[in-house]
Amino acid sequence: MADTTWTNDGKDILTETKSNRLKFIIGGVLLVAAIAYLVVNAMSGNTQLYKTVNEYYAEQGRLTDRDLRIAGVVVGDSIQFIEVDAQTTRLEFDVVDDLDNPEPKLHIVAINEPKPDLLQHKAQALIEGRADENGVFMVNPGGLLLKCPTRYEELDPADHPDGIPQQ
Amino acid sequence: MIADIGYFALLIAFVTAIYAAVAAWYGKSKDKMRWVESARNATIIILPLVVLSCALLVTSILRNDFSLEYVWRVSSIEMPTYLKFTSLWGGQAGSLLFWNLLLAIFTAVAMARKWHEQKELMPYALIVISMTQIFFLGLSAFVENPFTRLDVIPPNGNGLNPLLRHPGMIIHPPMLYLGFTGFIIPYTFAIAALMAGKLDDGWIRTTRRWTLVAWLFLSLGLILGGRWAYDVLGWGGYWGWDPVENASFMPWLAGTAFLHSVMIQEKRHMFKMWNMFLIILTYSLVIYGTFIVRSGVISSVHSFARSAIGPLFFAFIAIMFIFSAYWVNRRRDELASTNSLQSLLSREAAFLYNNFLILAILAVVFLFTNYPIVSELFTGEKGFVGPPVYEKALAPLFGLLVLLMGVAPLTMWYRSSVKRLGRAMRWPAIASTITVIVLFILNIRGWGALVGFWAATFATFLTLLEFWKGTRARMKRGESVWAAFSNLMARNRRRYGGYWIHMGVLIMAFGVIGVEVFQQETQLRLEKGGSLTLGRYEMVFNDINRFPGPDDLMITEATMDVYVDGRLVDTITPRTELYTRTGQPMTIPDARSTIAEDFYVLLVNWEPTSANSATFRVFLNPLINWVWGGGIIFVLGTLIAAWPDRKKQSVAARSRRVAIGAAD
Repeated sequence: MADTTWTNDGKDILTETKSNRLKFIIGGVLLVAAIAYLVVNAMSGNTQLYKTVNEYYAEQGRLTDRDLRIAGVVVGDSIQFIEVDAQTTRLEFDVVDDLDNPEPKLHIVAINEPKPDLLQHKAQALIEGRADENGVFMVNPGGLLLKCPTRYEELDPADHPDGIPQQ
Repeated sequence: MIADIGYFALLIAFVTAIYAAVAAWYGKSKDKMRWVESARNATIIILPLVVLSCALLVTSILRNDFSLEYVWRVSSIEMPTYLKFTSLWGGQAGSLLFWNLLLAIFTAVAMARKWHEQKELMPYALIVISMTQIFFLGLSAFVENPFTRLDVIPPNGNGLNPLLRHPGMIIHPPMLYLGFTGFIIPYTFAIAALMAGKLDDGWIRTTRRWTLVAWLFLSLGLILGGRWAYDVLGWGGYWGWDPVENASFMPWLAGTAFLHSVMIQEKRHMFKMWNMFLIILTYSLVIYGTFIVRSGVISSVHSFARSAIGPLFFAFIAIMFIFSAYWVNRRRDELASTNSLQSLLSREAAFLYNNFLILAILAVVFLFTNYPIVSELFTGEKGFVGPPVYEKALAPLFGLLVLLMGVAPLTMWYRSSVKRLGRAMRWPAIASTITVIVLFILNIRGWGALVGFWAATFATFLTLLEFWKGTRARMKRGESVWAAFSNLMARNRRRYGGYWIHMGVLIMAFGVIGVEVFQQETQLRLEKGGSLTLGRYEMVFNDINRFPGPDDLMITEATMDVYVDGRLVDTITPRTELYTRTGQPMTIPDARSTIAEDFYVLLVNWEPTSANSATFRVFLNPLINWVWGGGIIFVLGTLIAAWPDRKKQSVAARSRRVAIGAAD
């Protein structure tokens, strides 16, 4: 245990309490200011805009080359995993807002990202990255996230391999 | 028929909860104890009803009754029996029912065990806990009913998502739920104390162990979730600051602040208002976390499907918060502290700094988690903040917290002197500075990491010194080292359990710094016999095979030799598993795992057409096992702190027997 003094003589406690309260208020204000600084400093230039595919196309000009987080549904037929050379892989696929109305599509390209296990037709993807002038969306490193594991909850009975037989 | 009985049991449980709330309120207001006792019995009867409901749902899963939508969603004929049991919490409706089961267990135990100890609080506690039960049982019965039937009966079900079949994921949700529901008990007694106007620390003493156990389960849930992500998700990490992860982390933070702060109320009768605030905050965050996970209101990689229960949760949080705030306001004069801080350098002040820091971290996490909503509110555009923003903002706060973890135990109640505190810290400061210099000489760079290592080393030395001082004091009485150490733990479990928890956190801190700052990764396609080098490791691709596994699995497994400095140290087998019926693949990493680092390998791609080559992604994760090792020490420390004191227990049991005898 630390070597410390016990002083509890009581004579200055009242004034000390008041001065402590003042110190705490000043300390509290400084702490809040410090936290505000940390938050603003960490966020400045590092936040992403969250957009759906349709929202992206509605403002494509403004959103080109901005850090975005796109939410979309994966079009299964479009998935391609290409080994460009020994060091480079290229994963490509399209996402849409609604598979029943699959336009517009946003073309996603991820370099040297493993193909996520959940990247399948109808999977809900959250993709972080930037779109170039040609509308190709380049994924940030580690920026390809597939929504799950309770994804099956969103399945429609008719979509299951076994389906539901009509009676 | 089975499902109908299950649903009927759920309905009766819901009605019983309403009865319990009304009977407790009526009994208290008319001073009729029989009604209160009846309310107590009602809350206990809810338990067998919910057990029956859960048992019948599990029976339906085991019997492959795909006429129930829930069974169809989470189970299949081929699924192993143990997974059919765990399917109970594999989806929204089942997990809500499971949540109700845990809440019913906690409620019944609390009402049965604490009846004589806190009789004055009980009528109010019954009202408060019944309100929570009414809400959750109502959700299960009317909104997310697990016994809902499909119009037509499918021949087979989906089966539990393969990602959820990992042991970590099987245990992780129950742990989190136990933590979440566990915190409802201290909140219940806190509000009951407010309503009864009995604002001494009785409610804190009554619920101290509950709080610690709830906190233990929440901690276990967080650690197991991290381990699952590391083992299964194949991104080489364990924590992604996803809203759903944060939803469990925030109540854990508030609970941590509360656990520290109640000690001041017990020792110095201060911060009554603050403790009320903290437990209300913890409870609110428990419900809010459940809301985030289950409503789908904030986009997350692993939340449940978007559900209609969002607005109901929101309304419930608002009602309970207003209800709590009303009672705090009504008792504000009685909650005023009788003592005040005498020195800014004292144990109570250190606890307060700890609270400020933890709440600052909580505020930042809350803001960032809710940033999509906040930004949309103010700018009309949904924003998002990713892990780098969290890490940048929180690293200094975590650093300060680590420092405080070492320094706070040195302080004394009432007042400590700067000079002597400085003297106690001098050698640990010198030793940690030397450690960091050695690390620098060993080519460890990055000022952030070095500062972090210094803070963690300094706090570790201080904590170890606390153990040593206590042991030495007992050795002076003639005890051997081991006897002195074990008696020290046994005699003051709460304090030294706390220090073990600190040690666990500090070891985890080393691991977090190591893996966050010094992680390396690479990806390469290798021909058979080809090799890849990362750090001091060399990996040689020996072979790859595809073969059928159990059930409908098709396994592709690579065999790799791992060399360190030219010496073969391990053979690892990263693989992919394909669930052929559903087409769901699973990438299973393998690692050469040592205390220093993990050499973690994923089989990224292999095509049978080019059978001689495969692509691998490799991570070098320094100190990752310190995160898991620290987690184990953390859990052991919490068990030490929460372990019942045999003497006190027997005294309590004796007094209970006396009380029962007197009542007879």
